[in-house]
Amino acid sequence: MRFVVVLDGTVTTVARQARALAAFLRDGLGDASVELAGVTEGGRGELGGVTERGELAGETLVFYADDGDKRRLVDLAPTRDVRLVKTTARRPDLMVDDLLALGAGAHSTGPGTLGGEIALILTAGGATGAELATRLACRTGGAVLTDALSIEVGPRELRGRRTVYSSHLRGRFALTTRPWCVSIDASWNDGPRSPSLKPALEHYVLSDTDETGGAQATPFEDIELVAAPSTDDLAESRFLVVAGYGAGSREATKRIAQAARRMGAGFGASRPVVMNAWAPLDRLIGVSGTRTAPVLCIVVGASGAPALSWGIERAGFIVAINPDDHAPIVRDSDALLLDDGVAVIEELAEIVAAQREQGGAAPTA
Amino acid sequence: MDLSREGVVDGLQRIVEPGDVITDEKILIESSVDNFRKLQNIFGVHTMPVPAAVVMARSTEKVAAILRFADRHGINVIPRTGGTATEGGLESAVPDSIVIDGSAMNEVVNIDAYNMQATCQCGVPLQVLEDRVRELGLTTGHSPQSKPVAHMGGLVATRSIGQFSTLYGGIEDMVVGLEAVFPNGAVTRIKNVPRRAAGPDIRHVVIGNEGALCFITEVTVKLFPYFPENNVFLGYTLKDMKTGFEALRAVMVNGYKPSVARVYDPGDAGLHFSHFVADDDCVLLFMAEGPAGIAKATAAGVEGIVAAFPECTRVDSAYIETWFNDLCWGPDKITAEDERIRQTRNVNRTTEISADWSSINDIYQAARARIIEEIPDITMMGGHSSHSYINGTNMYFNYFFNVVDVGPAEETTKYYLPIISIICEETLKRGGSIVHHHGIGKARAPWVKDEYGSSYYILETLKQAFDPDGIMNKGTIFPL
Amino acid sequence: MGMGGLNTEAIPSQMSDLRVLACFKATPDFEALREADWATAAAGGVETRYVRRVLNCFDESALELALRLSETAARRGVRAELGALSVGGRDVEPYLKTLVALGYERATRVPPEAAGGESEVAGGESGLDFAPGVVASIIAAYAQRVAHSDLVVLGWRSGPGDSGTVPFRVAEALGWPCLTQVTEVEPLSDDRLRVACVADDGPLRLTLRGPCVLAVGNAVVSHLRVPTLKDRLARRHRPIEVLAAADLGVDIAAQRHRETCLPTGFETIDRSRRGVVIEGQSPHDKAQTLFDSRLRDIMETL
Repeated sequence: MRFVVVLDGTVTTVARQARALAAFLRDGLGDASVELAGVTEGGRGELGGVTERGELAGETLVFYADDGDKRRLVDLAPTRDVRLVKTTARRPDLMVDDLLALGAGAHSTGPGTLGGEIALILTAGGATGAELATRLACRTGGAVLTDALSIEVGPRELRGRRTVYSSHLRGRFALTTRPWCVSIDASWNDGPRSPSLKPALEHYVLSDTDETGGAQATPFEDIELVAAPSTDDLAESRFLVVAGYGAGSREATKRIAQAARRMGAGFGASRPVVMNAWAPLDRLIGVSGTRTAPVLCIVVGASGAPALSWGIERAGFIVAINPDDHAPIVRDSDALLLDDGVAVIEELAEIVAAQREQGGAAPTA
Repeated sequence: MDLSREGVVDGLQRIVEPGDVITDEKILIESSVDNFRKLQNIFGVHTMPVPAAVVMARSTEKVAAILRFADRHGINVIPRTGGTATEGGLESAVPDSIVIDGSAMNEVVNIDAYNMQATCQCGVPLQVLEDRVRELGLTTGHSPQSKPVAHMGGLVATRSIGQFSTLYGGIEDMVVGLEAVFPNGAVTRIKNVPRRAAGPDIRHVVIGNEGALCFITEVTVKLFPYFPENNVFLGYTLKDMKTGFEALRAVMVNGYKPSVARVYDPGDAGLHFSHFVADDDCVLLFMAEGPAGIAKATAAGVEGIVAAFPECTRVDSAYIETWFNDLCWGPDKITAEDERIRQTRNVNRTTEISADWSSINDIYQAARARIIEEIPDITMMGGHSSHSYINGTNMYFNYFFNVVDVGPAEETTKYYLPIISIICEETLKRGGSIVHHHGIGKARAPWVKDEYGSSYYILETLKQAFDPDGIMNKGTIFPL
Repeated sequence: MGMGGLNTEAIPSQMSDLRVLACFKATPDFEALREADWATAAAGGVETRYVRRVLNCFDESALELALRLSETAARRGVRAELGALSVGGRDVEPYLKTLVALGYERATRVPPEAAGGESEVAGGESGLDFAPGVVASIIAAYAQRVAHSDLVVLGWRSGPGDSGTVPFRVAEALGWPCLTQVTEVEPLSDDRLRVACVADDGPLRLTLRGPCVLAVGNAVVSHLRVPTLKDRLARRHRPIEVLAAADLGVDIAAQRHRETCLPTGFETIDRSRRGVVIEGQSPHDKAQTLFDSRLRDIMETL
């Protein structure tokens, strides 16, 4: 049994994809799969777990569009062995053709193919990864799990978890046919809970094929990247201040945002706040907005409705400032200050700024 | 008024801390309206005169000082707490008004579990008080849909009523005593006693005054034991409202006191119950609560009475219970609804009236038919009865329309007011009351003389006596 | 602004140049459930039968985007024919009636049970919540055999299953490309659309030629318009079509059996934390205590 990690190197997010997949390979495989791997020949190392040296075994398949990117892309691979495939950007349907051509769907033994039976194909979080995994499963008769939070590899089936019921629950799933096509949850970045992994020290490029021939009429033309409206990326922010409806006014929300800036924190807001135009829509945190994973998150005046909790639940440490000790946020916070949010956050900004001037902790978001 | 706008602000700053006098333009504009103009608010269109200042009241003494100042200079005053009004009661009818905001007076003064009464300042959110007394196994028995956001002062000022009123009554049945400040600065405290026959019940001068007579600074309400574990829910589907009203009447006149007794017409039922009723079905529902024996007996009695109506088909009580658990509207639901309106220009409005058992169905049918016929762009015209009494019930008209070919500012004149007008006409014609619980505000003030008839003399004289200079919430209750 | 039905006056011919199929699902309103309801999940599932239904929010965007697409197309001399499809029980019929009143020319539901097996109890759960493969087969078969669709528009995911794979599976079955996280669609001609979507590397716009599945994400347009009572009256005789999956060549029982990602259980998500209350006399005191006791250390790691 072998596995393949797939990176889409035709887009700029490839480094993030690689980090996320590496983190998943290290932390996303449940304990049970280690045990199971331990009793199978070769153990977890062969299945793609972490070898004793901290390197990852297995194969990475990297799609690229531009020859000039190849060297950089190879270095990103979370495994030592790498294959390169030149393809058409933004066409996961064609990338699946390429994967099949390499033998991803069957026992393949020919030169330049993946070789052996592929048990597991891992793709990155996000739409492309999910589309690759789904289409591949459809065409090979395999099984697909999208947005995987974790997986456990067993001899006959793969078990995994992802959120269901609109993020109210986690579901457990069993994948019954191979290949197991798994796209990982978008939350698997190198955030605070998964310190970044070093990629393999050396890479071997096993093959490099060009699948861009046989040009057919493209359905997508005049592709124009639109500049993202936001300047600081909430999803990447390591220190975040979030304003809730309890801020009470546009003015108070602005003061919270100013305090956040003083502390070098990113600024986000709950749905009621952006819907009242107290903060721009791109600041929205939670369901239908950004899901964050900061090291530190200070929530000011939010009651903690599930829509917001979902957006901050992966934070390392949550401080809630809220006068109401009955609000749901109380249970979602590590530290709780029962007080007027604006007053406290401004005091805190003062303290942090003073500390910084003394050369103390100097956070940069 | 003998002061300029600046003069008003200056005067207020001499009375309270300067930081408590808010003159931020955006906040003043927001404070010029309530939910009566919600479409305008959603689209940021503002047509009402802008107040001179919002002043945060932090004590009864400050309220008295502000009122004396306003009275001396003839400045219009709009009392406000939670700000959930829907009938224009919080609109500033004239320029350069003072909005007195009592939301900072938010202390729960005393919870007296022995005498079963709780005293709190006007700015205490009902939800806060309810949560506090629940910890003691008690309840206020008051649960309007606005519970998460409304404050005690405003609830008393508007004669609020809650979802369990059929058992606990409206807020007028709950208030045992209160403190109010009149325009001349007189601070009046009505003591907390179980009952007295010492002349007229002056609580009722204050309860429901809508800020047109005085500013309520403190209220004391009754407490009741809370037995949620005993709640019993009953639900039925039926084909017409007439049967529904008859079933409600039968329950009431046979002496039963369910806490909730409602009948929904097909349109309104479609909004809440489409997952278990057919398109043209009405829904009849009840909740019995209280000590186990009473809740059980009430439910059994109601069940027996409804069984005599073969048109009523029982549904699984879990539907009713699940629906009931999600009935209150917090900020989340309100903002989501605003966004829906912004995108679709489909506006939801409500108007509530009451009448005796003989008239209620006729009023419902007549008003509904006329609105569908006369008003354009209606997308849903329905309603429900949700508060019943021995002699009659209420009708809560619930309606939606698309705002077409006019701007947000014309929504009230093209749609809302003509609908209110039809409902008021049809209600008055049959001897009902044009306002069951949202208050008269400014929206229904034009009908107040017809509502009161010869008894308007009493109402008018109260205004003349307590607010001789007419500074209290001009245009509310008493039309300009 | 036209809030009611579609303007059909501008249509140059009766031929429809662009056949659009919009698909939706009505789900229980999960937000209406209480924490106690979710707590039972681990013991054997969540009771959602008693909760009111709502349109899946992404599907609602899709339905409104299709209406707007059709209106813009009409102004440009392209006739777009709208069809709506839901794999659902009788509780989706109110939505189908609404769509007909808004100008959808066909409104179809396919019961999620094998022929004859449909529960007649209104409000029953769909048996296909965790069977995205079956749902996709039905949609694809309907698009191909009945609607002859040029475009399938639907939400990118829906609870409770939330697999997010239905659009890809439909595209795969039809041999079409798929665009995900679509936020806007504008017809340029009868075979070209300008589409805005959010790719993994950011928002982009492109011109789409030929058939495609459009999986709608966080579109700015998130609410379906509302038909007037008069719209409803005018179109009340248009039938809601009920098609058995078997009529589309889909054997639900057999297909279900072929699902390869099977739910085996649920876990509640424990979001609780320690919640230590930081005491102090004033906002300043509390902020200082918080900083000294916890934040100083955490900030050093930022």
